[in-house]
Amino acid sequence: MIRGFLYTIVEGLRGLKRAKFSASVSIFTIFLTLILIAVLLIFIFNVHRIVSEIQSRMELEIFIDNSFIQAQIDSLQQWINKIEGIETIRYVSKEEAAEFIKQQFGHEVFEILDDNPLPASFQITLLPSFRSTLAVEKILNELLKLDGIDDILYRHDLLVLLEKYMHIFLIVMLLVGTLLALGSIVLISNTIKLVILSRRTIIEIMKLVGATRGFIRRPFVVEGIVQGVTGGVLASLFFYFLFKVIKLELPGLILIDERIYLILILMGFMFGLLGSVFALRKFLKY
Amino acid sequence: MIQLSNVVAKYTAGEGLHLVNLMVGPGEFAYLVGPSGAGKSSVLKTIYMDILPQSGFVKVANYSSLNFKKRQIPHLRRRLGVIFQDFKLLTDRTVFENVAFAQQVTNARRKDIKKKVLRVLADVGLSHKRNKMPHQLSGGEQQRVAIARALVNEPILLLADEATGNLDPESEEEIIQLLEKINSRGTAILMATHEDKLVRGNNRKIIKIKEGRTY
Repeated sequence: MIRGFLYTIVEGLRGLKRAKFSASVSIFTIFLTLILIAVLLIFIFNVHRIVSEIQSRMELEIFIDNSFIQAQIDSLQQWINKIEGIETIRYVSKEEAAEFIKQQFGHEVFEILDDNPLPASFQITLLPSFRSTLAVEKILNELLKLDGIDDILYRHDLLVLLEKYMHIFLIVMLLVGTLLALGSIVLISNTIKLVILSRRTIIEIMKLVGATRGFIRRPFVVEGIVQGVTGGVLASLFFYFLFKVIKLELPGLILIDERIYLILILMGFMFGLLGSVFALRKFLKY
Repeated sequence: MIQLSNVVAKYTAGEGLHLVNLMVGPGEFAYLVGPSGAGKSSVLKTIYMDILPQSGFVKVANYSSLNFKKRQIPHLRRRLGVIFQDFKLLTDRTVFENVAFAQQVTNARRKDIKKKVLRVLADVGLSHKRNKMPHQLSGGEQQRVAIARALVNEPILLLADEATGNLDPESEEEIIQLLEKINSRGTAILMATHEDKLVRGNNRKIIKIKEGRTY
């Protein structure tokens, strides 16, 4: 077992050393395709971040019945707090509302009207997982069951629009990403096929002397994985330094999820593995 | 030990084996003789199951093409040795590594591999050249490396496909003598050749083949 494992690793590395040029081509191919995929992922991440930010700013404004006294308002607040999905709840008194209007329009409301007609309200923000139209509808239904609520305001149309376009955007990106990943695997598979083609003799001899398919395949798979991971590490380093520059020169323009580096290395691993397995299928028929 | 019975194995172009019958017993030395393109290599390929017959059957030791599973092929091939006209050596490995390679695929222990390889290299008279690369050897020596590689797994049968075809008469003679020596130790040999002169004058079994048919 250990002997076989050692042989596989040594042969795999020897193979890379023997076919330096084709291995470099393969690594470069993986590097380029991973960069394309990473650009796509970073784009998705940033669009998603912007959309989430817009969604997080969307508040529900609940206007309280003018006839409600403070004790009733406090009780209403407690009921609202019990509804699942509420992140924060802030009470805005009639006076605060009037102050806000004054700040906005520069007039004292009480000067024009006899009384302050503005209702007291609650401003509610929702937990991130409750910012979809469906979840908002559910919360609205819960709220409408409560007494003392006059009206509820929220940007329903904007939420619907955001969700719709985000949905289309994700489908398009998923398609492009899948095509890119498939293209990468075919490309890597073909590059590895060329490496294997140049080593037909060794495979032929291995078969002749009684090597099992697994025994023949393993060193090539190791080669593929080493190439894939190398391509992944290079792509990670490329983005690491690129973002360092962007952070310095254009701070806040693009944000990245630090996991991207690990994702790129893992994708390189997968591409190398799948590419070599596909490439070998044809050559390993008895 | 080997039996080919009414074997038919045609390629798409219509070439191949049309009707082959042959038998080689344990420890026997037999020649498969026929002109180029007669189907000699195809016969050998059916023996090491690189080609499977469309009808008839091939029996090698305990393996039969009639109830054969593809995953058994490596195990069958470990019991056979095959040598070719073009030697099929790995040009980037030393003589020792070329021979050891056949042992590595069987997952043998390193210590055992070394012992066996050195012994078999001594048998073919190449111990002193074990660290040389194939291109540093003559044609006859390269074929002896190929024979050592074929022998290192202690096969029951050695298949030789025009094994002397690329050699000068002197080296050819050496290889034939080596094969005789191997055969005298009990390994059966089936040697495919187009050269009548090789079989003339010896009392070995001769199987003739022409246009994919033995007679």
